[in-house]
Amino acid sequence: MSEQKSNNRGTGKDYWRSLDQLAQSERYKEFLQREFPEGASEHSNAWSRRNFLGIMGASLALAGLTGCRQPEEKIVPYVRPPEEVIPGIPQQYATAMPFGLDALGLVVESHVGRPTKIEGNAHHPSTLGAASVFMQAELLTMYDPDRSKLVLNNGRESTWDSFVAYWRERADIHKADRGKGLAVLTSPFASPTLFRLKNEFLRAYRDATWVSWEPISEEPVVEGMRLLTGEPLMPVYRLEKAEVIAAFDCDFVFSEPGSIVNARRFMDGRRVAVDFDPMNRLYVAEAAFTPTGAVADHRLALQAGRIPALLLGLAEALLNLGADPGVFQRQRPPQLTEHERAWCLELAKDLLIRRGKSVVMAGRKQPAHVHAIAMAINAALGGVGQTVSLKLLTDASLPDTQAFASLINDMKGGRVQTLITIGLNPAYNTPGSLDFGGGLERVEHRIHMGLYADETAAKSTWHLPQAHFLESWSDARAADGTITFMQPLIAPLYGGHSDVELYSLLVTGRDRAGYDIVRETWQDRFPRGLFESKWQQTLHDGLVEGSATPDENADLGALRLVRYLEQHPVSAPAADEIELVLTPSMATYDGRYANNGWLQECPDPVTKLAWDNAACLSPAMARRLGVKNEDVVSLRIGGKSVDMPVWIVPGQADHTVVTSLGYGRTAAGRVGNGVGFDTYPLRSHLEPYVRRGVTLAPAGGSYPLANTQDHGSMEGRPLVREMAVGDYRKHPGAIAEMEEHPPLKSLWEEHSYDTGYQWGMSIDLNACIGCNACTIACQAENNIPLVGKEQTRKGREMHWIRVDRYFNGDVDQPEMVHQPVPCQHCENAPCEQVCPVAATVHDKEGLNLMVYNRCIGTRYCSNNCPYKVRRFNFFNYTRDYAETIKMAQNPDVTVRSRGVMEKCTYCLQRINEARQVAKKDGNREIRDGEILTACQQACPTRAIVFGNINDPDSEVSTARARNRTYYLLGYLNVKPRTSYMAKLRNPMESMLNVEKTYGKQGGDR
Amino acid sequence: MSREAKVTSQPVHEVLIPGDPSFHDITHQVSAIVEGKTPKAWYVLFTISAIVASSLVFQIGYLIWEGIGIWGLNIPVAWGWAIVNFVFWVGIGHAGTLISAILFMLRQRWRTSINRFAEAMTIFAVICALLFPAIHVGRIWVVYWMAPVPNQMAMWPNFRSPLLWDFFAVGTYFTASLMFWYVGLIPDLATIRDRAASKLKKIFYGIFSLGWRGGNRQWRHYELAYLVLAGVSTPLVLSVHSIVSTDFATSVVPGWHTTIFPPYFVAGAIFSGFAMVLTLAIIARKVYGLENLITMKHLERINLIILVTGMMVGYAYSMEFFIAWYSGNIYEQFAFVNRAFGPYAWAYWIMVSCNVLVPQVFWFKKYRRHIVVMFIASILINVGMWFERFVIVITLASDYLPSSWDYYSPTVWDVGLLIGSFGLFFTLFLLFLRFLPMVAMSEVKGVLPQADPHHGGTHRG
Repeated sequence: MSEQKSNNRGTGKDYWRSLDQLAQSERYKEFLQREFPEGASEHSNAWSRRNFLGIMGASLALAGLTGCRQPEEKIVPYVRPPEEVIPGIPQQYATAMPFGLDALGLVVESHVGRPTKIEGNAHHPSTLGAASVFMQAELLTMYDPDRSKLVLNNGRESTWDSFVAYWRERADIHKADRGKGLAVLTSPFASPTLFRLKNEFLRAYRDATWVSWEPISEEPVVEGMRLLTGEPLMPVYRLEKAEVIAAFDCDFVFSEPGSIVNARRFMDGRRVAVDFDPMNRLYVAEAAFTPTGAVADHRLALQAGRIPALLLGLAEALLNLGADPGVFQRQRPPQLTEHERAWCLELAKDLLIRRGKSVVMAGRKQPAHVHAIAMAINAALGGVGQTVSLKLLTDASLPDTQAFASLINDMKGGRVQTLITIGLNPAYNTPGSLDFGGGLERVEHRIHMGLYADETAAKSTWHLPQAHFLESWSDARAADGTITFMQPLIAPLYGGHSDVELYSLLVTGRDRAGYDIVRETWQDRFPRGLFESKWQQTLHDGLVEGSATPDENADLGALRLVRYLEQHPVSAPAADEIELVLTPSMATYDGRYANNGWLQECPDPVTKLAWDNAACLSPAMARRLGVKNEDVVSLRIGGKSVDMPVWIVPGQADHTVVTSLGYGRTAAGRVGNGVGFDTYPLRSHLEPYVRRGVTLAPAGGSYPLANTQDHGSMEGRPLVREMAVGDYRKHPGAIAEMEEHPPLKSLWEEHSYDTGYQWGMSIDLNACIGCNACTIACQAENNIPLVGKEQTRKGREMHWIRVDRYFNGDVDQPEMVHQPVPCQHCENAPCEQVCPVAATVHDKEGLNLMVYNRCIGTRYCSNNCPYKVRRFNFFNYTRDYAETIKMAQNPDVTVRSRGVMEKCTYCLQRINEARQVAKKDGNREIRDGEILTACQQACPTRAIVFGNINDPDSEVSTARARNRTYYLLGYLNVKPRTSYMAKLRNPMESMLNVEKTYGKQGGDR
Repeated sequence: MSREAKVTSQPVHEVLIPGDPSFHDITHQVSAIVEGKTPKAWYVLFTISAIVASSLVFQIGYLIWEGIGIWGLNIPVAWGWAIVNFVFWVGIGHAGTLISAILFMLRQRWRTSINRFAEAMTIFAVICALLFPAIHVGRIWVVYWMAPVPNQMAMWPNFRSPLLWDFFAVGTYFTASLMFWYVGLIPDLATIRDRAASKLKKIFYGIFSLGWRGGNRQWRHYELAYLVLAGVSTPLVLSVHSIVSTDFATSVVPGWHTTIFPPYFVAGAIFSGFAMVLTLAIIARKVYGLENLITMKHLERINLIILVTGMMVGYAYSMEFFIAWYSGNIYEQFAFVNRAFGPYAWAYWIMVSCNVLVPQVFWFKKYRRHIVVMFIASILINVGMWFERFVIVITLASDYLPSSWDYYSPTVWDVGLLIGSFGLFFTLFLLFLRFLPMVAMSEVKGVLPQADPHHGGTHRG
């Protein structure tokens, strides 16, 4: 531990230390010639910036590479400017981001050939115009100066052409014996072009092995559907039609596949614009506290290992109520506690009352048969075809852990001569139960393609830099089957090649451009004669309208499932058996985003930890172990052990350790190396997410964690206001009355702000899921710098909109609420009065402006801000930006230097852009909804509304007029322009009684 | 006028300077310190102070180079030790002008023995204080934008900001104090000029004594000027810390937003200023053998003022709690409960013990006249008053939204600047002791019985 600790403490320091070590090696000299060093997007320790000359040299080297990029392959100055490119006016291109078996439709903003902002594509069924943190942060990944830039052959610089020559040689050898000993390992995909190439490959090399696998995938879902129906199907939920939703260990609003759409559709069912609008009801049973658990109306915390039993308990309750899911024959459900039985019964009643309008969802942390049971229940509830539909996965290479395990076995047995790994990093993220590294050693020809020269690249004979999806031509299918196109926004920044190009090379031995390969796929698929127009239309839209796969009328007879359950009876773990739950990280996902500073610094929605993962424990468990936050504990399971710090999460299931995967990378890059703790060794490929029988012991010592919110209680203050929807309907005025204050009168006559545009924002806390999409959108839009772990720990993070998380109720079974807090743009702004140099002032449209070049940095405004939304540049956080990171900055927003205060501007640049458009457009008024702030645009649940409050018909005026509206700290009479709408919950009376009797923690107590 | 006569007549009866020294004795005793050989102890102390003070150059250089991020500040605690030190030093700077101006106006003639170095202390403390607002801003190179300098960019400071009031209040106070001190020095500088043995000294003191010859007309002008300056300085003594307190009192921060701040700050400033005068007086009278000029009577009166102002401060502490409770404002209530029992309770209780409990020893005459006791008490009060400002500033750590609460810890640079400012203070003070008359000779002579040969029958020729 001590060694690990010293490596991890102070990411900044470390990163320099390793450069120093590099300085002595041959490799570093090579680096100097070819790298653009420095400028990790993170602020490093002030003492250690010894790299000034390096940057200067590198910047010169880079000057030749940073030309403006259009689809042409050559870099030429704009002798003849490309059509449609007007400097200063950004363009929008539709493309998509492949993510597991889904494709997330994007619209990317491009300034003179530089992509600067990723948004969702409003027409795309997977994003509906919203954008998750991962989608948005991909921009930074694309520009990451640590991305792989060179073809490496045994660690030496080589070229793509040499690889092509090498592969032709290998191809001839493999063709001779029909691909025996040739294996391809890729991440799973659903892509017509890749699927075509995969099939061609397998035709060319009949005996070759093709394995798709990913550490975190939809495999349990797809396999569950196969178990139930015999077909690899994908459930697509239609939560807008659901009145009662039960989520079993399923964080469907946040970390599960399809979360953006699911969150939007779910929230559409509970907006309660006027008092008597209907509101759906959500039941959640889960181990970790998730954003879905936070918005639940009833949440049962119990060990993830008990979820299968609980779901069977629900099936039994439904059976008893006359709706037989058909999952039992002789087998009876396992023993549940009285509490759990009562919970299942009440849930079953509620689901049944709304037959056809209810849905049960299972999360991918649960094994396949749980998904099968859940879908069988949906069938019994009449939900299939209504609230959930099943889609046949087409053009998909499905994740297959079994195949992956046997591939490793073959590798170990020396039966693989050539292994081609594409877009995966198995040397890092293979479960501890499989020895990928050991197998790899026995493979003679190890070819790796990836965005980074990562852990796997280091062990490979060939490493090929991969082009980012924003740099490549490709296609994909969204979760519902919609055909989606990907087009490059920029030529490969670091000279990489796309997976499409590599696949094609592997099949044909020819080195072709991705553009031609993708067109070839569609030459056959689009109607003849209409190809060009269809191609152009698809590129423009990003998708083929109406190409979703039709619903599958699968046989949901459940017989296969019944047989399976007979053979594999479901058991519930003993109560005192501690289980380990491994979750994807909200920052690094499976480790792939480890070098992405935006994500690393984005606090987890629940723990509010940044820059690390931790072993999360319930308060009761921490008490029993005698540990507190930041104490190091040793987790031991299956002969592997990991030491990591503790973080106590109120509301987490007892006897459960929750921790995330994707940390502790050693070859991620300068930002991600040594951040957090690698938990893959604790993983088993047989039980990838939930393992029983982990032992936990204090290891002594402590490890500092960077937490952005120290205090989780509202201290009885009316900050996030919440009501049960029933009470709210009875007393709609109660929300405003939650704060008592004298009449708000001013000593002087105040500015009336009653003419022209008056900007305001309304945030619906009932819709907020705390997902941080707004935070990252704001960071990307407004060039917000990163500060690193040390600075975050000090409380100097720079986010202009933060999401506050509060717990209320009993510490062991609390409720959680989220509240996004941007600048409130107070009309009576306390910050303005105290600034000695008038650097923060009001404009006539009611905006609280920050004049950066007037600011001298007294920080008095921040002290006097009741909301503490102002952020200060304690250091010059942007000084060491690499040239490529500079390219990612929004040219419409000032990059701030040291010593000035900054804060949310309500996206002033977007307001002014709309103003210019309106002015040119016949001097018309700006239309309502014409301006979207970055946070509003990204929000998956449309919790944020922005517009002119002086227009009584605008959406924001309507929102402000609702009786759920209140003003945060309104009693101060600062007159905030940002208003909030109170949160509502929709509990069921009889379930409240169950909770009253038994509490909200399941399992044997 | 008769009232004034009554007031003035009283102290004449009191023997302020024992031992019945002659005018010459006083001149000789005080001037000898300036004229004689420099004591070894002075060199030792000066070297230490000067080294510490010059570390400030490096510290501030690094601060400007890297940014104020080297301090422990964060959001929400955007002000830290720099502002604590500023208020602390301004507070110290109160005693000098209070002694010179207000006690002068009140005809407290005992002040003459201590006013000179108390005033010097004021000047140096205010210099130390002014250091901090200048360097605590994020962009030091444009700090002059706080000043209303007409410019082509049409930029003008915001006169609604208390920081700007501060700028003027402290600036005015410094200017007035400096002038007051200098005017008071003129006759004594002339004395030293006249006694000077070397040409260089004659020229040096000659320049600064502005041609003083001690003529009747000069004395008349001089005394009038002194009176006018005392009149100007008197309101400044009260205004400067009142205005400094508005930095806090006009804000919306719970625990800062209180109307008691101006009087409470003034009382606290006098309290801490006198404690510092006491510390310095005890050392100086011992080292330079001035026990006959700065007598136990002087020290006892200082202690009485400390006792009174200490209780005023204690009253303010309790009244803040009462009003917080009485207001019914949950944010206000929390701020005060949190002060006493929250994460910074240790600082709060240091403050209460040092500022409220320690001065209580001065109820006893024995301790009021006990050098060791009063020396320890004066040090503790200085510590306590520093912590008072710390407790106030750190209220920022837990304001309205619990989500933004955070703990503030200083870094080595925060501590370094405080130590450095003490180095600067003592360097300036030691230079003053060495080169300027530390007791106002002409004024002390004025309270000797000989100065008033025709009054009250105490004439002794």
